[in-house]
Amino acid sequence: MQPDESPLELLRAENEQINPAIILAERLMRRDAAQLLSVEEVNEAENILAIGTQEIETIESHRKAFQKTPASAIDYVPVGF
Amino acid sequence: MTGLGLATAENGKAISSFGDRLIRSLEYLRFKARSHNAIYACETVSRVVSEQHKYRLYIEMFPKEWEQSTRSLYRAGHFRAYSERTNEFFQFVNDTCFPLLEYWQDDPELELERFTIPAMNFDLCCEEVDFAHLRDSYLAGLIFYFLEDDEIWNYFSAKYAVDKESLPPIKTAHANIWKEKHGAKAKPFSDLIRLVDHSTGNPWLDVTNCQYPEFFEWDKETVDWLTEAYQAANLYFKNLEQLDKRIEEDAQTFFSELISFWNNGKVGSGGKANR
Repeated sequence: MQPDESPLELLRAENEQINPAIILAERLMRRDAAQLLSVEEVNEAENILAIGTQEIETIESHRKAFQKTPASAIDYVPVGF
Repeated sequence: MTGLGLATAENGKAISSFGDRLIRSLEYLRFKARSHNAIYACETVSRVVSEQHKYRLYIEMFPKEWEQSTRSLYRAGHFRAYSERTNEFFQFVNDTCFPLLEYWQDDPELELERFTIPAMNFDLCCEEVDFAHLRDSYLAGLIFYFLEDDEIWNYFSAKYAVDKESLPPIKTAHANIWKEKHGAKAKPFSDLIRLVDHSTGNPWLDVTNCQYPEFFEWDKETVDWLTEAYQAANLYFKNLEQLDKRIEEDAQTFFSELISFWNNGKVGSGGKANR
């Protein structure tokens, strides 16, 4: 983390994607349980699980950073207000 | 008729029944209702991979039973974290390999991702000496660990007229008693002391209820190793029968030889054959 970057800038720099575990979970739940996963599929699942868990931790750290950030006025009115 | 069994197609492959497909669909809908929660998705992936791992082990260890099984792959079994099929696998391991589900592992909420095994041996640290259920030879091995307790000697004196005063005094254990190899005469004593001391190298005999439990993984090597170790553990107790007979025949000589082995690392006066 760069010391001069605000939590908002850090969040903006993150990739925008759906947690890959959600996509994999959907795939696995549609699959017939009697068709066993291959070794490659298990390895892939474990990798995705690691990435998915890491992403959850990253989001959690962003949330904590935001909670510590003091409120500041913006110079425009957001859409809808 | 539950309607949950697996039908078999012409090619011999199992076809899910209506009941099982219904359970599968309900499981999917339950998942969909929460599927955008990343934490839940991670738990789902983890659970599916874990269950698949156990199915693979089931097929590897019990291929015929897997083919014939009608247990659901989707409906939760007795251990609710697992399907009926995985529960069936646990039961087969329990019935044919070693006691997995007996003793304390009966809580339906229990997760068996890693499992513990029950202690088969007497717990020196917290159990009362049970004269009614322990073999006489095992009780004989306990004399070295309950030196201040005359209860065991009173028992043998009453049952076999053993005269403690005429036996050699018990000294500190000789280092040789822990040797790996012993002659035919000394080996039963070595085995007995290792058993009582919980230093057999066999997890079923060395684990106690008072220590932090050792956890075992679900893989073929571990299951095979625990199966063999369980058979060997039973053999340890079976071998005590021979020592029991020797006590019945001549308790005074038996204790004399046992104490001699403890004190000197050899039986009797110490010919080569005795060592």
